[in-house]
Order: sequence, then C-alpha cells, then structure tokens
Amino acid sequence: MDDLRSLRELRAVVPEPGQEWLVPERRRLLRRMRGRRRGLGRALLLAGVLGTATAVAVVVARPQPPITTPVGPSQAVRLDPSVVLARAADTVGRREGAGEVPRPTQWQYTKTLDKQPNRDETQTFERWMRYDGKQTAGFDEAGKPVVRDVPPDPGDDDLSPQQYDQKLRALPTDPKRLLAKVTGDRHWIDWPVEEGVPKVVEPDASRAYRVITLYLSRYGVMPPKLEAAMFRALALIPGIRIEQGIPDAAGRRGLGVWLDNGIDSPFRDYDILDPETYRYLGRHTVWLRDEYSQSGGDLMAAKGSVWTTALLTSTIVDRPGERG
Amino acid sequence: MIAEVPGSTADAELIRRSAQVPEVFAELFDRHAAALRRYVARRLGESLADDIVSDAFLAAFRRRRHYDTSHPDARPWLYGIAARLIKRHHRVEVRFYRALARTGVDEITEPYADRIDDRVAAEQSGLAAALAELPAGDREVLLLVAWADMSYEDVARALDIPTGTVRSRLHRARARTRQALGGSDPTSAREESFDG
Repeated sequence: MDDLRSLRELRAVVPEPGQEWLVPERRRLLRRMRGRRRGLGRALLLAGVLGTATAVAVVVARPQPPITTPVGPSQAVRLDPSVVLARAADTVGRREGAGEVPRPTQWQYTKTLDKQPNRDETQTFERWMRYDGKQTAGFDEAGKPVVRDVPPDPGDDDLSPQQYDQKLRALPTDPKRLLAKVTGDRHWIDWPVEEGVPKVVEPDASRAYRVITLYLSRYGVMPPKLEAAMFRALALIPGIRIEQGIPDAAGRRGLGVWLDNGIDSPFRDYDILDPETYRYLGRHTVWLRDEYSQSGGDLMAAKGSVWTTALLTSTIVDRPGERG
Repeated sequence: MIAEVPGSTADAELIRRSAQVPEVFAELFDRHAAALRRYVARRLGESLADDIVSDAFLAAFRRRRHYDTSHPDARPWLYGIAARLIKRHHRVEVRFYRALARTGVDEITEPYADRIDDRVAAEQSGLAAALAELPAGDREVLLLVAWADMSYEDVARALDIPTGTVRSRLHRARARTRQALGGSDPTSAREESFDG
C-alpha cells in the first residue's frame, strides 16, 4: 500500500483555479501593494505612483543632474516654520478656485518621477485613475494606454479621486478644527485592515502630518481657503521643521518640510513645496545613517543615500491617454 | 521602454527586479498563485483560501528585499509564508479532518462531490483521522510533500528547518498514515515511494 499515493488522492478533486480567479485576484494583490503612506508604506511609495499593470512600461527619463552632495542636516538652512507656513497660507488663499467638480467618468492624470537610491536613472510614471476609482490606466509595452477594472478592496485605505474630493470638501477651514478633524479621522486610524499584519497606530502628530501632506499632494481640486487652512493647521503640529533648498527628483529645489517626532529614524522624509507657489513638488528621503534589513542584516541604504520623487502633473482629463 | 517578457526569467530575478519596479511582482503571482490556491483550499476550504493566498503574496511582496536570490525557484519561500498563515487556522483545518473521519463527508470537496472517486472515499476517513491527530509541524511537512510535490530540500527551505528534521517529521507522519490505512507496522515504515 502506498500511503503517499492515497494521500495525494485525498481532496485531489479540488481544482486549480483558472483565469476567472487569477485575473481579479491579481488585481486585488496589486491594489493592496499600491499606495500606502504609513510606516510600512514608505518603501512602497514607488508602488503608489505606478499604474495597476502587469506589464509595466517604464520610460527612462533623460538623465537628471546628479545630486552629488546629500542635503543632510548639517548643510541645511533652517527656516521658521510659523513664518513660512503663514506666508504659504496667504499665497494659496489668493489662488483662483478649483473648477467644476469632475464627472465620475473623467480621469485623474498624474505624471511622476522616481529616483531610487540604488539606481542611476530616473524613472517616469504616467497614470490615469477614473474619478470614481473604478478603473485605472497605464501604458503597455507598446506604449498604448491599457484600461483595467479595479475591484473593491474593503481593507484598503486608499481612496478614489472622488472620495478624496468628498473628504476634502467636508473639512472645516478653521485651522484648529481642521487639525482636530484630520487627527480624529477614523479612516486614517482604522485602515488599512490586513490579516496577518500587526496593527500600528501612529502618534497623533505623525498621522496628522501624514494626512495633511497627503491632501496637499492632491492639490488639483482643493478649494483655496481649505488649502490655506491646511498650511495653518500644519503650523500647529508640534515638531514641524522646514529647510531650504531640498531637491526633488526633477532637480527642483524647494522648501523641505519634515516632522521631528522624536523617533530615532535612520532616514528623514521631506515633503517639498515650491518656494514661490507652495505647490507640492515631491518627496526627498535622506539616510542619516546606514540602514540594515531587519531579518537578513543586509545593507539597505548607506548613510547619505537619497531617494526622491517628483509630482510633475496632476490634472483632470476626459479619457485615459490624455494629458490635459 | 522596458517590457517584461513573461516566462523567460527565474523567480529570483523577478523578485530582484520587483525591488525597483514593484509591479513585476505580479508575474510571480501569475506563476504560482493558482497552485498555491489549490493547496490552501485543500487544507482549509475555498472560503479562507482566497484571503490566505492574497495575504501570503502581500507578505512576500513586503519581504521581497530579503529574498535569497541564490534560489531561483520561489515556491518554497511562498509556501513557507503561506504555511505561517495556514497555521493560524489550525483549528479549522483539524475540524474538517475530524468531520470527515467521523461522518465520511468532506465539506472541502463537497462542491466537487460528483467527481469523487469511490475507491478514494473509502480511504479518506482513516487518512483524515490521522491528519487530525498529527502534530502541526509533522502535518505541514507531510502535506508539502504530498500536496505541493516538494523535495526534502524545498520543505526545509520553506519551513526554515534542517533537512534532517524534515526527514524525521516525514517519517513519523507517514508511520501514522500507514497505520491509519490499516497497513504495516508503523515502526517498519520505509520511504520507498517518496519521489520528491
């Protein structure tokens, strides 16, 4: 008698699922991999700016002027955050209002750059997401836009452009009330929900900072009064720091905002603002010491390594493939 | 433009590339997810299998930078991650085996009941009883060999245990299944049919 053969026959009728299972499950995985701006999500920032595409078309941008000197704390020119953020609030408050509310079938088009620490070239990513979040589009290898359905993922904390806009429009424009509202928003506390991943709730200041900068990066539809209130609310968060001349992945130097939350982190994350218009430009991460992987002890990033992104375009268009 | 050519690269190379271009990781899903889904569904049923497969790939994605790229085949790594998630549902798994042993009805294969082979059905109760009684670690080894067609080395890598431990766990587990099938003295169990 062959026990192994008998065992192999046990439940052998359970079939391997086909394409009808694979396709939606693959999408679900990609959606879960995408766009997290939590502690865990830092390393996934790149995933957040990519389209949901199996065949990823990567356009290698023309070489950017290399950032040879890591802009670290030692060379940084520190500014007074309350002064800078008050000026930012005044400037953006005078902006023209955002246009009409987009239709659900319109698309949000974003173009971003990514310069990873261990890579020479800067990558360009173009991505469309339907306003109602039901589809995304990106390029296939032939350079043609490919549209894909996005199945609902109840555990995900990411929102459709429409949901972001609804959330933004419901926010108060009084800075203190705005900060309280953002800090207490259960959405950013309770989600994402993931089986097998320990739940970490950030300190209030870190979460408020994360959510406000996330909202500022979605400036396309922000009412000017609200955007002004965002900067005033940012100024109320303890530990806000601002430095001058921090470059993004496009080489644009701006105001580097970061939160000194007292945590001994191997790196510092700056959110970069245009020094004149205060538009969100991108991110700049600099390693303050060597960082090793937790499990393997491998060197992940050496001290002085720099990782930058840049948001070049974020606009509403009528169909995927259009760039506004 | 860089286009990914499917099927032409080792898993390890895909994982290495996914460190920079995360969505390359989806190709690993295309290669292994369906088989892993079947494996998990055989142990825990369909309703849990989808979430476990998705969680396993998400966990793998997050650990992709720690993958030892000297191993071209990522299956042991993926099944090892899945094993830890399956373990959380230990009671569910055992309950299914016990129910099958007691009633002769297997809830897991019920959706495909018309395809059940009668000859197999006769052996099922005994095997299920043996699987229910096995220590979790022994069952893990046995099922990776029997249902995931893994070699000793693969199982050792998946569960992060020495090959010798795989051998002894499999030996113990098979002694129990042989006994359950009403066969030979468990102390004389040999490994004659293991072809991994």
